[in-house]
Amino acid sequence: MSTFLFAVVSGILFGVFFSLMAIGLNFAFGVMKIVNLAHGDFVMLGAFGAYYALSTFGINPFATMIMEIVVFLVVGVGLYYGIIPRLLRSDDPEMLSLILFFGISQVIEALATLAFGTNPVTLPTNALGQLSFQLFGQAFESSWVISFLVSVVAIGLLYVYLYKTKMGIATRAIMANRDEAAASGIDVNRISAIAFGIALVLAAIAGTLTPFMLGGIYPSVGVNLTITSFSIIVIGSLGNPIGTVVGGLVYGLSLLLMQTYLSSWANMVPYVLLILILLIKPSGLLGKGARNA
Amino acid sequence: MTGTDQQAQVKNTVSLLDVSGVKTGYDDLQILWDLSINVQRGERVIVLGANGAGKTTLLKTLVGLLPVWEGAIHLNGEPVQTLRIDKRISRGISYLSEVGVVAGLTIEENLRIGGYHLASGAARSQMAVMYDSFPDLKVRRRETASSLSGGQRKMLAVAKALMSRPRLVIMDEPSAGLSPLFVTEVISMVNRFHDDGISFLIAEQNVKFLEIADRVYVLDAGRMIFTGTVEELHRNDALERAYFGVYG
Repeated sequence: MSTFLFAVVSGILFGVFFSLMAIGLNFAFGVMKIVNLAHGDFVMLGAFGAYYALSTFGINPFATMIMEIVVFLVVGVGLYYGIIPRLLRSDDPEMLSLILFFGISQVIEALATLAFGTNPVTLPTNALGQLSFQLFGQAFESSWVISFLVSVVAIGLLYVYLYKTKMGIATRAIMANRDEAAASGIDVNRISAIAFGIALVLAAIAGTLTPFMLGGIYPSVGVNLTITSFSIIVIGSLGNPIGTVVGGLVYGLSLLLMQTYLSSWANMVPYVLLILILLIKPSGLLGKGARNA
Repeated sequence: MTGTDQQAQVKNTVSLLDVSGVKTGYDDLQILWDLSINVQRGERVIVLGANGAGKTTLLKTLVGLLPVWEGAIHLNGEPVQTLRIDKRISRGISYLSEVGVVAGLTIEENLRIGGYHLASGAARSQMAVMYDSFPDLKVRRRETASSLSGGQRKMLAVAKALMSRPRLVIMDEPSAGLSPLFVTEVISMVNRFHDDGISFLIAEQNVKFLEIADRVYVLDAGRMIFTGTVEELHRNDALERAYFGVYG
């Protein structure tokens, strides 16, 4: 019983972290209807940022996280204005975005390989700090709990932004009906650029936590992280950032339970869940009706 | 007379909206051909036309959703044809599209985005004005627009369009999908806010809106084929047959 409870609590801790990792991808899709296939590579860059800052300069991962938030926001806004308005003017922006961001993903991976090599790198688990956490008589890894708390705060702030601020409501208006939002006088490009910046900021925060949650990081891990993120958002609901939290929890719980009881099958979890959800409820657990994206 | 008085006098003599020689369309397909219209302060102007005549294209061009290929649009004497939509709205144009609301947002959120360019204090006071004018919306302000009936949605759309404190409200077929009872309600809403000094440019197929028209334009295949008063429209046999023969 204690093993089961450990797996469930760990699944929740990991599930919320996975939600954070995937939510930026879903947020960008919801606002712009483009699929950022380089999302996992931005998470990977965030992870290497934490590794490089700590191993080279001894900078605490939380300080790195703050620096990365600024850098990724600027990069996201710049990347939006550089490429996305052109994509959105095309006849098939979704397909073009897949191709374009696949290219960007490959470039990032190649540059990261040149910079960091192909061997996995790790960070000491106590680098995030020490926090004693026990539940059901089980002690949980301090870095897992801290990553969970950071993820809750980041997702909570995204919720506050979307539902309690003027720009967030404008963002949701764009997600619901881009043309009507524009007709209402919302500067759709400006709000979308900020949304893309926020999506990359969320990737950066998740990236900083990744070495503590997933262990060794290496340049080609970005592809795996994109696939995991994509599975999570499909499980929750494509285009609905809050649905990502549900998708992340389902994924985290499934993964940890599989790792506990059928560990050799655990890597299949994202793919099996993806296939199941597409067969049973294609719009995702929180989706309404059939998805046409 | 002071300089300020002279400026005010000049402003009062120019049209609120003056559109001259506008050509536009989608990609390579030209829809509007040398279109010229104007709206004076305090006027309710109706643009009448069948489906596909170019009414929505005209309105989208005026508000900035479509670019002007040739020609000029002046608002209160100022050229606005190169301005973005949000800049035009902050200068006093408001647009009520056929959809009119964002269905996934609450009533209050719809009103907030209607007054998006206003400072927060001004937006709050304007929202209070809208709630006074539409008490039903206040009662249901936390509900999503998708939960409203067609008529209630139109009411919200009108309130949303008025949130930006416009001088000119441009409406795209406000009667679309409404029962005759709600059409009458929309017309009375237009009259109510017209009495407060707001001008209206309304594209419609429903000739019931002619009851409130100060002037009428008739659009056909992207060209303006008639300009005049409702009485003059009635005296035009071809148009009388085309519009009142069917609906009258």
